[in-house]
Amino acid sequence: MLYIVFMRKQVVDRLDSVTFDELVARADPFFGDECSFDLTAVKWVSPAGLVQLATTCYSLQKMGRHPFIFLGDESVASYLSRAGFVAAIRPVATIEPNSFATVPLDRLRGSNPMLIEVTKIERGRDLPALLNNIVMVLREKLKYKKRDAFDVATVISEVGQNTFDHNKETCGFIAMQVYEPRHGGSFLEIGIGDYGDGIAETLRRNPNNPVIKTDLEAIQIATKPGVSEHDDPTRGTGLYHLLEIAYKHEGMVQIRSGNGKVRYRMDKRMGFPFSVAYVPGVQIALQLTRKKR
Amino acid sequence: MTKIHTGDTVKVMDERLGLCKWGAQLWTRELAREIRTELEKMMDRLPGGGVAIIDAKGVEVFDYSFANELFGKSLLALPGEYAQRFLIVENLTGYTRENLSRALESLNLAMIERKAGKLQLIGKVHPSDQATFSIIANASEPVTATFLKDRLGINVTAVNERLSKLTALALVRRHAGVSPAGRQQYLYSVLS
Repeated sequence: MLYIVFMRKQVVDRLDSVTFDELVARADPFFGDECSFDLTAVKWVSPAGLVQLATTCYSLQKMGRHPFIFLGDESVASYLSRAGFVAAIRPVATIEPNSFATVPLDRLRGSNPMLIEVTKIERGRDLPALLNNIVMVLREKLKYKKRDAFDVATVISEVGQNTFDHNKETCGFIAMQVYEPRHGGSFLEIGIGDYGDGIAETLRRNPNNPVIKTDLEAIQIATKPGVSEHDDPTRGTGLYHLLEIAYKHEGMVQIRSGNGKVRYRMDKRMGFPFSVAYVPGVQIALQLTRKKR
Repeated sequence: MTKIHTGDTVKVMDERLGLCKWGAQLWTRELAREIRTELEKMMDRLPGGGVAIIDAKGVEVFDYSFANELFGKSLLALPGEYAQRFLIVENLTGYTRENLSRALESLNLAMIERKAGKLQLIGKVHPSDQATFSIIANASEPVTATFLKDRLGINVTAVNERLSKLTALALVRRHAGVSPAGRQQYLYSVLS
């Protein structure tokens, strides 16, 4: 099996589900002396990158650390504010310079039809209202077919429920954006994540599961139906169905947990494993081709 | 068809659980758990041979966790806790049927759907089991393994294997009957 290890330490110029690994490797926030993220060269940010950074900030706060995020580009700062990121992480992190204007989260909600802002999900019972809202946005504002909108919401539901089914004293984050490149090929990106125990630790609680040595193994096992923390035959299908829906939509899925990451290209139905810098919890990035009625 | 004399009379009773009172979009295992509590109360009231109907009219979508918790767990409890009762689903849309079928497939389960007045199986179903089920469901009265052997054109051992599987999944009901020659034999039916 080929493992690609990110050892390079370079300034990232975009923040997404791939470059996030470089950002964390460079910052070394969980084991190093400093606890800061350098986004001064960043010119472009994706929702999955934002969710990953938000969950990282919350895990650092849980460990008693206070992260700093350094920005350089005012348009990026403005986007982070519009995307709800600034408001979401304000309780646990400091953004510098603080002269960039921030907009309260309440005023942002629904203000951009192309976006579900970085939203903190504190309880499982908050999910249905959020999912109904996502269906509404996809159907009415983005003109999705009903079944495609339901597929997207189903995926978010399955992943989001894992946050609360397998963790205590954590919360989840979600963000969503639609991209319409000039050359065509519109797609939807969803970032969803938590800062809980991670897949490996969760699966190890069930003695009936196979022995799991690494985070990568854990991710690969967790995507098989019936593998769960719970000794219950109706559990352990969430990530399996995530991949099935992504396959149906010829999408891309990235599952990151601890030191492991698997990126699935569903047009080829292949998963590519990577060893990455440690981040607690589970973070998922999903890209699906945009579909219109 | 061989004339069969059943040894007992079963009073059939149906109870219906409408899902739409919980909304058109049904998300999460937590919600399904709440509904399953209602379903269990309903199943407790049913006599042997009774039919619990989950009516999905007005429901546009449910996720896999919901389906696993409500349908999957109830089906798994059926043979042991609610022996001789049937659980069927009605009024599925194309989308909810697809999701339920996928959920049941991932759990290696199947259930009875009533669609346009006809009974069919959805979920993890082998075509040979579906064929056996269809003959039993379309028969005007309970049938024997010998009857099925003739209709399916296979030997009685193979028929019994299929019947054991369908009975274990609570998709077919088995009860004792008496043949015209006075011998005791098993009879198979779907909804009495």
